[in-house]
Amino acid sequence: MSLLSSADSSAALESDSQSQRAWILTKHLLLFFVLMTLWEVGSRAGWIDPLLFPAPWGIVKQIGLMYYVNGNVYYHFYKTFIEAMAGLGLGVFIGVGLATAAALSLRFREYIKPYIIVIEATPRIAVGPLFIAWLGFGLSSKVALAALVCFFGPFVNTLTGLLNVDDEAEEMFRSMRSTKWQTFWGLRVPNSATILMAGMKLGVSSAFGGALVAEFISANEGMGVLMSRYTYVLNMNGAFATLLSITFFAFLLFKVADVIDYYLVFWRSDKLMQAKSKKRKDAFFKSLAAA
Amino acid sequence: MAAVAQAVASSNKPQASFGDVVIQANNLTKAFSETVVALENASFTVKKGSFVSLVGPSGCGKSTLLRLVAGLIPKTSGSLTVHGKEVTEPRGDTGMMFQRPILLEWRTSVENVLLPSELTGRVTNEDKRRAMGFLDLVGLKDFEFTFPRQLSGGMQQRVALARLLQTGADILLLDEPFGALDEFTRERLNLELLRIIAQFSSTTLFVTHNIAEAIFLADQVHVMTPRPGRLAKIIDVPFTRPREISLQVTPEFNELVAEVREVLGGDH
Repeated sequence: MSLLSSADSSAALESDSQSQRAWILTKHLLLFFVLMTLWEVGSRAGWIDPLLFPAPWGIVKQIGLMYYVNGNVYYHFYKTFIEAMAGLGLGVFIGVGLATAAALSLRFREYIKPYIIVIEATPRIAVGPLFIAWLGFGLSSKVALAALVCFFGPFVNTLTGLLNVDDEAEEMFRSMRSTKWQTFWGLRVPNSATILMAGMKLGVSSAFGGALVAEFISANEGMGVLMSRYTYVLNMNGAFATLLSITFFAFLLFKVADVIDYYLVFWRSDKLMQAKSKKRKDAFFKSLAAA
Repeated sequence: MAAVAQAVASSNKPQASFGDVVIQANNLTKAFSETVVALENASFTVKKGSFVSLVGPSGCGKSTLLRLVAGLIPKTSGSLTVHGKEVTEPRGDTGMMFQRPILLEWRTSVENVLLPSELTGRVTNEDKRRAMGFLDLVGLKDFEFTFPRQLSGGMQQRVALARLLQTGADILLLDEPFGALDEFTRERLNLELLRIIAQFSSTTLFVTHNIAEAIFLADQVHVMTPRPGRLAKIIDVPFTRPREISLQVTPEFNELVAEVREVLGGDH
């Protein structure tokens, strides 16, 4: 009974917050529209130098030009996307791998600690020219810089998640004669799901940053190249449009990570738990009947 | 009331006889450092099927004693045997329950109960049926497939109890298992615990800082004092079973409470 009533009240709460959210969104949109209008008006009236800060309408027109008329942006976008994603993949692989090893072995943790501190203190973007000297002007130097810049978030978060386990929960596992690996997979990994996903999100935007900066330094293609070319000829509309494109895409990836997080850590949502309950129940009785 | 009268009338009879000694400690000592001695020279025996309460204020070493028996921490000196064998690591015949339920939030009740089976081998259909049975036994029929967050604190602790039973351990080590629950839930769960333990004739070590609870549940109360943790006195509890809540208002019961208080120095 108590379960039912609490579900009902939370449903009521949800619908309430939905109308509230709609209102908040309206207010935000309104404010955004006002700001944009002010900017546009200011630009046309000559209060803001349109040569340095292009008016919103100009940027919108430029986006239309880049995506519909010229279509030249897709190629560059694709290049940067590949660099950033490969860098993210590599960075996450290294970050999560190191963190897992460090979580499992105290000795390994002690040994890598000074290196991690030094890497953290290094302005990692500044390693870009070195990577280009080592790996050339092609894809690999961009991937390497993106990976170096983004591996830290996943690393720190994974390590924190895997180490911050309730002592008593670990004692409980040990009292049931669990092996180190059983505790790792059965307790530590699922326990760190949330913070692990937060690490991925940190990685997404920094991977794009890394790829862009590597392109600024030296490249023939990519969004970074497009941006430096546009600014070089003082086509600020183009520079802003390029930056916005990347921002929008990184934001999309962020949202994807959010959705994955939502379904992965299903036990935060009543709705998902109820659906899962039913599924697990069916599977349980099916497995009993099978034998 | 008849049951109370019976309990009172039989309170002078000798304690029910128990089986062989299953836990034996001789001068058992645990020091975390030279200055922090958690438990000093504890010597006692626990017989098969008996219920022993460890009672005392915080810092008296009662939880340390329980963890030593569970094989979770190594002793410093002395000896400690379970079923005649020196305890060196967690064993299959001891199972532990904590003050918090410590359920895995991503598992349903029955999946949580199945955890010990999973950790010691492949889960069989027999294991699954047993798990369902234990959940029924602790009063959670129809809640087998709910997740911990959907259960109240008391219900979560019931799942933890079912999980403990699933281990198949015949020695139950309970560390203030209902200490975090409200008084009413706690009282009810204590009674159910007694009912369930009687059914399996398990040997039980029960840690608590509640004197009345310690006496009410136990055949023998080990009173412990702090700094350093010492086993100060062992008191036999003569009341017959099954016991009823009303036992706690009898003069005989209160005499025992007073006896424990005296050992603890009266300020409890």
